[in-house]
Amino acid sequence: MPSADTAPPLVSVKGLSKHFDGVRALAGVDLDLRPGEVHGLVGANGAGKSTLIRCLAGLTSPDAGTIEVDGQQVSLETPKAAGDLGLAFIHQELNLVPHFDAIANMLLGRPKPSRLGLVDWGRARRPAVEAGRRLGVTFPLDRRVEELSVAQRWMVSIGRALVANARVIAMDEPTASLSGAECDRLFEVVRDLAASGVAVLYVSHRLDEVLDLCDTVSVFRDGRLTRRVSRGELEKSGLIREIVGRELAPHEPEVESAAAPAREVPVLEARGLSRGLVQDVSFVLRRGEVLGLGGLVGAGRTELARLLCGVDRPTSGSIRLAGTEVVLPNVAAAVSRGIGLVPEERRSQGLVLHRSVAFNINIADQRPLRLVPWLPLLHMGRARARAVELSQRLGIKTSNVDQPVSALSGGNQQKVLIARWLTRERSVLVLDELSRGVDIGARGEIHAIIRELARSGTGVIAISSDVEELVALCDRVVVMAEGRVTGELEGAELTEEAVVALSYAHARPNQEVSA
Amino acid sequence: MSSTNVAPSPGTASAGSLEKEDSTGRRWRRFLQLLSRYGTLTGLLIMVVIFSIAAPDSFLTTTNVINILNQSALTALIAGGLTMALVVGEFDLSIGYLASLAGVLVTGLIVRQGFPIWFAVLVVLAVGAVIGAINGALVTKARVNAVIATLGVGTILIGLGFGYTSGAPISSGVPDGFLRLSLGELFGLPNPIWIMAGVLALLWVVLNRTDLGQRIQAVGGNIEAARLSGIPVDRIKIIAFVTTGVCAALTGVLLASLLGSGTASAADSYLLDAFAAVFLGSATLRDGEFHILGTLIGVIIINTGFNGLSIFGADTFYQYVFKGGILVLAVALSTVARRYSRA
Repeated sequence: MPSADTAPPLVSVKGLSKHFDGVRALAGVDLDLRPGEVHGLVGANGAGKSTLIRCLAGLTSPDAGTIEVDGQQVSLETPKAAGDLGLAFIHQELNLVPHFDAIANMLLGRPKPSRLGLVDWGRARRPAVEAGRRLGVTFPLDRRVEELSVAQRWMVSIGRALVANARVIAMDEPTASLSGAECDRLFEVVRDLAASGVAVLYVSHRLDEVLDLCDTVSVFRDGRLTRRVSRGELEKSGLIREIVGRELAPHEPEVESAAAPAREVPVLEARGLSRGLVQDVSFVLRRGEVLGLGGLVGAGRTELARLLCGVDRPTSGSIRLAGTEVVLPNVAAAVSRGIGLVPEERRSQGLVLHRSVAFNINIADQRPLRLVPWLPLLHMGRARARAVELSQRLGIKTSNVDQPVSALSGGNQQKVLIARWLTRERSVLVLDELSRGVDIGARGEIHAIIRELARSGTGVIAISSDVEELVALCDRVVVMAEGRVTGELEGAELTEEAVVALSYAHARPNQEVSA
Repeated sequence: MSSTNVAPSPGTASAGSLEKEDSTGRRWRRFLQLLSRYGTLTGLLIMVVIFSIAAPDSFLTTTNVINILNQSALTALIAGGLTMALVVGEFDLSIGYLASLAGVLVTGLIVRQGFPIWFAVLVVLAVGAVIGAINGALVTKARVNAVIATLGVGTILIGLGFGYTSGAPISSGVPDGFLRLSLGELFGLPNPIWIMAGVLALLWVVLNRTDLGQRIQAVGGNIEAARLSGIPVDRIKIIAFVTTGVCAALTGVLLASLLGSGTASAADSYLLDAFAAVFLGSATLRDGEFHILGTLIGVIIINTGFNGLSIFGADTFYQYVFKGGILVLAVALSTVARRYSRA
């Protein structure tokens, strides 16, 4: 292996900063990447890893800072510019054309030699075959990508980078859906690439493999590169502390919420719920409690919420509401039993954007708004009054409930979605990523609303990728990793560090997935 | 009405994306929005002024205005029904053929089967509902793209119509009572105008003043949000298609009464008229949203144009050019309106 410390950097990032809508995503990040180096990027969700990679891939342009390649300052305005400089990026979704074969995918977008205006496939496929040989692939390269396993698709994607003569290959969560043996094979390939002088940027939530594979690990927190760790310098526990960033006082349970009535009564029980990513999830939600669901993006929390709210049906396991087993064939069934969902993607899944605040609040239950109960005619004054009343109660800042909901800020839109479920009787409210895109002031108000709801007897499930928020808001937190529950924290045990540690816990040993 | 001012500081709510836009962009957008909201109405006004000046004795007379409304009535009925399918976020291309089939069926049932007129009409409206339900089920349950599903069903309906009539119009023995359905008058206005007014008013109330209508609008506005709010979206879509089907059948019945016969392809051309009217209407007063009042205005614009052209004695081909032009213009306007209001 070439000495990674002494070689001049292939890519040198200096003072890179990026803001999105006033939210800091990257703040003055310096990072050198040397030929032959495997460089790990770790950090919580939203810590800045992806933004850095997107800047290098030409998908996002930074607000400030410079990027140098081979000592020359470059401007990576487009993905093509990045590709021309030998930077290749492999996304988790892989972006392959499913019905093209492996060779055609590796050659995608490359100029192909032609004869008489027709592609000369005999010559064109040579670099792809060569890349396949270099990667030691064992499957036939003329097989369609849709017939290949995930691990084989990764090989095709890496092959594509090799065909493009990439000198830097960034990999985003490459092992997320690979079996143990497939991971080992991938690590071998990564080490071979490094040995041949390619620099690898390796993004992963699996800290064990990062520590094992990478020469250098950069830790990101709140948009900053907070620590650079060389091989052998830190253990996993030390790395987790770096990711969390500080020692924190244990969670102090709130006095009022501890005094809430009938807390021990379970309103919802999940027993062995499974579907797709979600595997054998069990937990109890008690009346009047705010239960947090922690874990990394992709841990299966949203998928679990969908099972609880009747969006998807579990393939096995059961849901009990107030002690009775229920089947939720669709959302309407869940809603009629008092379960409401505030979805993750507010704009695409929650709101009818061009309609008014009142319309969006009232849509889940209009029956009480009828002129007379037996006639399906609505009393528009009553509808409006209900919207005004709820807007005032939740502090929704809008000049007028007839204003389109699209004109509201993220926090106020979120309140509209919560107000929607206050229009009807409910026992369970599930909020997915409850304060994504919500400014800090509105966040506090939403937390107050949620606690008030819990006090009045609703069982609240709060999903958040913000660990600090979970610890501050919730009475109890269930943490998931890779689709399974890895732990449950309450009282003094509920600390940010404990949540993060459980988020990175390997819920299961890598099982052999047949290729 | 209760108080409108909910927030102590209304300015904070919208201080988002608008600020970033430079003022020229905002002005241009505002202009386009105004153009699309009031452009169609301005167009109607200009048309009325030109026709009134050019043909002072024949255009702006009570008789001619009633005439225009009467000619608009059938298109307005079928377009009003189509509005429901479009509001719920789908498409229905079967309406013209369904109306044609309804025409031959109602005359056939009266002449051949000897059904009482009211009963024949009722049966045909039920057939319209069933065909609407089939369209809806294909779109929601079988997940066939609405354009393909309704085009396929519509084509089957053409076949059924020709099969039922063996290609010849059913015209002999149509009772006067059936003809009076469309030729009769009430308080000096032809029946079709009353029927149009009643049906459109009903559709407007359903869409804007009932739980069902709010749900239809929610499904059309954001189907995922509607589903996650507990709205049974498939059922709502099917109901919208049924409404569209019943309106198309009613149009076919009235057309057969007007023509005094059932002809297998009589109402086919209503498809394009209806689409032109609904899209024109969606760019009227609102930003590319389908709505009943807009649809009515769209129908009136189209028929005013036809009426003026025929008063001038323009050749038939001008009418086709006008109709096609209006359709393309309407869809373009509606798209522009949507783009600039929701960007």
